[in-house]
Amino acid sequence: MVRGNAVGKAIVYSIGFLVSIVSIFPLVWLAIAGFKGKTEVVATPFRFFPEKWLISNYITILSDEAFSRSLLITFIGAVIFTVFTLLINSMAAYVFARLEFRFKRILWVYVIMTMFIPSMAILVTSFIVVSKMNLLDTIAVLILPGLASAAHMFFMRQFYLNIPVSLEEAAMIDGADRFKIYLYIFLPLSYPVFVIVGIAAFLGYWNSFIWPTMTITSPELYQIMQYLATFRSERGSEMGLLMAGSTLSAIPTIVLFLFFQKHIMKGIKISGLK
Amino acid sequence: MGKIEQTKKYDNGTAYLMLSPIVILLTSFVAVPFVYAIYISFYNWGFYQDSVFVGWRNFYLVLTDQLFWHSIVVGLKFALYVIPLQMLLSFLFAHVIRAMGRRSSGIVKTSIYIPTVISGIIASIIFGFIYHYDGGIANYLIGLIGIEKIAWLNDVSTALPSLAVPAIWLGFGISALIMLAGLLDIPDSYYEAADMEGANAFQKMIYITIPLMKNVILFLLVTGFAGALQQLELPMIMTGGGPVNATLTPNLHIFNHFRNDVEMGYTIAAALLMFVVLGSIAAFIFRILNSDKAIDG
Repeated sequence: MVRGNAVGKAIVYSIGFLVSIVSIFPLVWLAIAGFKGKTEVVATPFRFFPEKWLISNYITILSDEAFSRSLLITFIGAVIFTVFTLLINSMAAYVFARLEFRFKRILWVYVIMTMFIPSMAILVTSFIVVSKMNLLDTIAVLILPGLASAAHMFFMRQFYLNIPVSLEEAAMIDGADRFKIYLYIFLPLSYPVFVIVGIAAFLGYWNSFIWPTMTITSPELYQIMQYLATFRSERGSEMGLLMAGSTLSAIPTIVLFLFFQKHIMKGIKISGLK
Repeated sequence: MGKIEQTKKYDNGTAYLMLSPIVILLTSFVAVPFVYAIYISFYNWGFYQDSVFVGWRNFYLVLTDQLFWHSIVVGLKFALYVIPLQMLLSFLFAHVIRAMGRRSSGIVKTSIYIPTVISGIIASIIFGFIYHYDGGIANYLIGLIGIEKIAWLNDVSTALPSLAVPAIWLGFGISALIMLAGLLDIPDSYYEAADMEGANAFQKMIYITIPLMKNVILFLLVTGFAGALQQLELPMIMTGGGPVNATLTPNLHIFNHFRNDVEMGYTIAAALLMFVVLGSIAAFIFRILNSDKAIDG
């Protein structure tokens, strides 16, 4: 019995670690390929490690002004996007969770309905709207359209519904108004839910490709994924550089995940189960 | 007097003020474009011309376009490659994680989740090289067991399944962890009772695990299906829809029209039809699973 258990355990652990290795293998290979020479990435016969480790790809791509500017601009945009996403949606979440007001039901249905409209269905007309607003080829066109999100708002509202009302009552006796309660009670308590929504927002912005491709034409404003896709199609023969650039562009998202891992894992528990 | 009472209870001012950003943004960038899309789908509309009312013509053009139907078939096939495999693998692997110790399951969870934060573009770049004919790992590995090299992305029969692999890679971690959360939610006592009755592992899975995880499985099925059917970045970057349109997903088909056409009627009508198709399929899946659920109470 004990032996059977030990064998079972050994099998479980080997499968577990094997799958983990397969799972991160493509990324490890990507990072290592960044140290390879111009065309060594697809050398025949296949080689996992470079013949000679070249750090130069990483240095060259980082010192390429277009790449580092695109990395920086995307980062700044993503931070602004994340901050305003949290603010705008949490305000609405708080209002829907706690306040009574006229037309509440109608407004609620209106906001929630937008969740079911896929971005592809409004691709062309969103483009027309932003071009009429003269937003094309500005950072605003990347930030504004995606900021309000019924899904994020809904998620935060579920969280706010669980905050005890007694906390507010105490503040109200002290004369705090509704906005102050949001500012001084709900915002500070929002940390766990902000981490989950914030990371989703940051990732969405950082990884977005289609919308920037449609709306940004000046190379100075290229977003990082747009830069990589352009690099791939225009300078595809410089594979080592492309791999180094891709690795660097993936690092911020991986670091963010590793840093907030615990919260994300907790968030997953909620998301699948409503 | 009644009025004062009401203003005390109702916080209309604060509520509207705090709601205005989300309402204004959703109106400008979702509701208006949606209504506008429905409106101009009945017009012959272009960026540089006057619009002419054409009735249902745009929809007629889309529905009689073989390429549109072809792209729907490609999308469905793609979902058929991705979803069953991803569901099965993540369901089984959730059991593996559950059986592991705390520490090692932590490491495993982290490493399978990492691909989830990677963009479709980077995945396309990586897997484009993995499938490279001469120096790619895929051909190297099948070479080890004596199989001839395959032109993965350039062969009509292998191109679409080849795109399914990165799609599964990107989504596996999150679905396995959601499955795990569902598993951990089932009380141990159910299994203990089944043990007393002498149930084997297979029976426990059929009679306890799967029925109790129905909601989780349904959630993953619907979101996964919608995601797979709407795939755009992988085929766009890796194959450009080729060879011979074998990987032309519906969204890629629509996006190509957006980029190439002067008239936007077709594009908008196709996008709206996709929205209807997607919605009905999701509703259909819900229907099947719900009626099933009603039977076992």
